[in-house]
Amino acid sequence: MNDPRSIRIHYLLRAVILLGFALYIGHLSQQDALHYYVAPKLARWIRLCPVPLSLMAASLGLQALFGKSSALCDCEHQLPRSPLRSSALYGLFLFPLLLGFLLPDRALGSEAAARKGISLTYALPETGREERFTAVNPYQAEFAELAGKLYKQPVINVHPEIFSETFGAIDLYKKQFEGKEISVSGFLYREQRAGSYIYAVSRFLVQCCTADATPFGILLDPQTQISLPADTWIEVRGKLHAAVFENEEIVMITPESLTPISQPSTPYVYTSADSIAALEQLPVSRAENEGK
Amino acid sequence: MTTLLPFKIMPLLVPAVFLIILGMVWLPDHPELLDNAYMDTFKTSFIGILLEALPFVLLGALLSSLLRVFVPDEWISRWIPRRPVPAILFGCLLGIIFPVCECGMIPLVRRLMHKGMPLYVAVVFILSGPILNPVVYGATLTAFRSHPWLAYARMGLAFAVAAGIGLIIYATVRKSPLRLSIKRETAEPHQLRTRGGRLVSVLVHTSDEFFEMGKYLIIGCLLTSGIQTFMNHGSLAAIGEQPLGSYLFMIGLAFVLSLCSTSDAFVAATFLHTFPAGSLLAFMVLGPMLDFKNSLMLLSLFKTRFAMYLFFLIFSAVFIGSVLASLWL
Repeated sequence: MNDPRSIRIHYLLRAVILLGFALYIGHLSQQDALHYYVAPKLARWIRLCPVPLSLMAASLGLQALFGKSSALCDCEHQLPRSPLRSSALYGLFLFPLLLGFLLPDRALGSEAAARKGISLTYALPETGREERFTAVNPYQAEFAELAGKLYKQPVINVHPEIFSETFGAIDLYKKQFEGKEISVSGFLYREQRAGSYIYAVSRFLVQCCTADATPFGILLDPQTQISLPADTWIEVRGKLHAAVFENEEIVMITPESLTPISQPSTPYVYTSADSIAALEQLPVSRAENEGK
Repeated sequence: MTTLLPFKIMPLLVPAVFLIILGMVWLPDHPELLDNAYMDTFKTSFIGILLEALPFVLLGALLSSLLRVFVPDEWISRWIPRRPVPAILFGCLLGIIFPVCECGMIPLVRRLMHKGMPLYVAVVFILSGPILNPVVYGATLTAFRSHPWLAYARMGLAFAVAAGIGLIIYATVRKSPLRLSIKRETAEPHQLRTRGGRLVSVLVHTSDEFFEMGKYLIIGCLLTSGIQTFMNHGSLAAIGEQPLGSYLFMIGLAFVLSLCSTSDAFVAATFLHTFPAGSLLAFMVLGPMLDFKNSLMLLSLFKTRFAMYLFFLIFSAVFIGSVLASLWL
């Protein structure tokens, strides 16, 4: 059992660490950098965390400074006794704070996409082996309706808000979209396959946090000459084509223009509960004006 | 007390040794590991997983402290049915009332056990809670919109595995496998002597729990993000080609990825083309019950021997269950 003096020191150290976490989260949300790490629906909860964290820090501080010595007891949760173990414990807690404050916030890029294996198709079970469920397939219905709405646009503008759904709809009806004009932005994914580089305009789809980030990419025609470095943010305009790449049917863009842009404020894309309603709410005029 | 020390630090020592050996074997061959792109990826996934778990850990610690300060012991034992089968059903349904992610589970369960919840009910709650709750059910259904039976199968298998393991533990384990003995706890003399009254006392306990769980959480996050940064998904997928290999592969993947139970269904859905549905089921049932992050936390709650027994039970039950389920589906 620790004596009251060392308990006070432990409590103070803990209060400082808790405050550190609260400050780090505050710093992230102030810099608008939380979305580099978690999806918006989770970020709401994380923004609330500094409240309990600082209350906890305050009450630990209160015990450390004004608590009666007789009431200070670590009989239930043992505090580490040796200096070595204490420093190991607090070092462990300081590590994420140091990492967080010292290194810049960066979005996942080509490197991570190559590790996770980029999908060039919308790999969800539209035509899976379970034929008996194709009759009730809300996905297909949603994608079909979305595809119909997209097809009416002179130039399909892939909005980041519904990136994965738009990609899914185009991928599902790739034959019908053959030759349509498209405009899409993302980071330039580069990978060496079979001796030559392949390029794709890509986005990470994040469901919950960066651990489940899945990279999606639309292949750029391998004939195109591209001299930009990997991870450059680009806007691609070009024509859609259905193609076969490594025994897979995919969609591909033959770029007409490829302009570097600055990284958007939200680099990842998220799923949308109702992509059709989302498309209607988006500034449609933007897409139409660009088409004219 | 000093003689016990090596055993007490085992849960911390083993991963540390693992990391050191990994570092010694790998680093000389891979100078690019110190390259900036790796460090950035590592940081992004590490902070991502940590931030994702943080609200749940805080919620679990807070609930546990509220229980400790405000709920008398008799309540818990009065609620829990005495006979094993109704008690196990009760344990399975508890997840619906406390939809806590697996990271928040351990502090809550420890408190419930100290308040008199029997071991087998606690284990059932730990196993079923992260899956059998409305949030996870909704997320799974969304991820498998075109294969809703996979969501039902996930719920069913999780229920069967949790209840089965609960029965086995009821029948086989007699001695308390808790790390901190309950006796030390039963005398609670200084409950009200904390300066600032009951609410401050809740907050002090919350931070005690937070630091208790936090160290395992951070180590788990470090290992998970290390694996996420350096593991190549594509090269491992070759294992999945054999019929049983795919099950083992998906189970291993669930263990090392340590995803949150609300998001793992979306990751599983991306494998639907390449892997049999049964192995995806194994992925989605094992992951929330047992993964890197979680197993370190379980080791903090239970004695090593019991924890190993539990890991073995979970692994074999999920494996058998998912193979059987795939035959039937």
